Amino acid sequence: MKNLKLLAGILVFGSLWGFSEVIIGSSIQDTGLPAGAIMTGVFAIAFLVLSRMIYRQPGMQFGIGLVAGGLRLFNPFVGCHLCSAIAIMAEGAIFEIIWYKISLDFSELKNVLMQGSMGILSAYFIYIGGYIVTQIVTPIAAGATFYVENLIVVLPKILSSGLIAALIGGVMLPTILLAKRIDIKVKDRIYYPATLGVSALCWFIIIGNWFLA
Amino acid sequence: MGKEKIIPILALIVLVLSGTATAYIYATQVDKETISINGEEYTIEQLFYLAESKTIETVDGEKTGASLEELIPKVGIACPSCHEYTIRAADYEKTVDWEIMRTGVLSDIKKVYFPDTPKAFWVGDIIEIEVK
Repeated sequence: MKNLKLLAGILVFGSLWGFSEVIIGSSIQDTGLPAGAIMTGVFAIAFLVLSRMIYRQPGMQFGIGLVAGGLRLFNPFVGCHLCSAIAIMAEGAIFEIIWYKISLDFSELKNVLMQGSMGILSAYFIYIGGYIVTQIVTPIAAGATFYVENLIVVLPKILSSGLIAALIGGVMLPTILLAKRIDIKVKDRIYYPATLGVSALCWFIIIGNWFLA
Repeated sequence: MGKEKIIPILALIVLVLSGTATAYIYATQVDKETISINGEEYTIEQLFYLAESKTIETVDGEKTGASLEELIPKVGIACPSCHEYTIRAADYEKTVDWEIMRTGVLSDIKKVYFPDTPKAFWVGDIIEIEVK
């Protein structure tokens, strides 16, 4: 039963993250703002940390990244869908690595300095990690060749662009952790229909958008 | 040293590192009117004069520009398929082989587009095409 609950959690958080990337991320991109850094700093951090806080299950965030990245693949009309999907999947995995040593009750993050610092580190490394992984994997996945010198040239740009994500993450994490004070218990008979319903709605809108476009 | 000290110190290092990288990016910005191809400088108008314009279909819709298949031989590359091409902006570059290169176009905003590659290959603000 616990595994089923986790699977439903992975599906709903992954779907919400993927939906945000496709719908909100695309809108931010249209305004010329740094969409990738904003999406990581706000939505990736929010969904990954919230799911960790609610389910207290390491490994789950990697699954959430896979679902979100998979959903991103269904919106090939805006942005680099393959690059973004790869980056999102990598972000889930990198989050797992960064948070490996953090206890599941977040007892280390008791003051705002620790929370803000962890937010900075998480958002920065998730963002630049995803960026680097996509620079390596995208050419290979596209049937081209990966060149190390191409990556070296773009490294200053990657390290620089993570600054915005880091600053947003530094504010987002303490904000999200305020939700620890809220104690909500959801009964199983509501939990499953709600998680599956929300997930289905996210997929329906994205895939519907794909067919309509 | 415990996590209480390491995490804030690492966060500070990250901010300094990314701030330095940002300063470096601004300091090394290049404002170049021409594109260097195989060591020769060309204006975008010269390149459009050398090669016919063509339109390709991409994931982002139709893109029009000078055909790279036509352009590369005309800038003096005798055996285009014998080389790889590094398309370079000030802070970004991608290397492609002739099979990809020949499908692309160079637009009037100095950006290359390819019909069958992810957008990561669409280098903008090009300053150089290095023939390897």
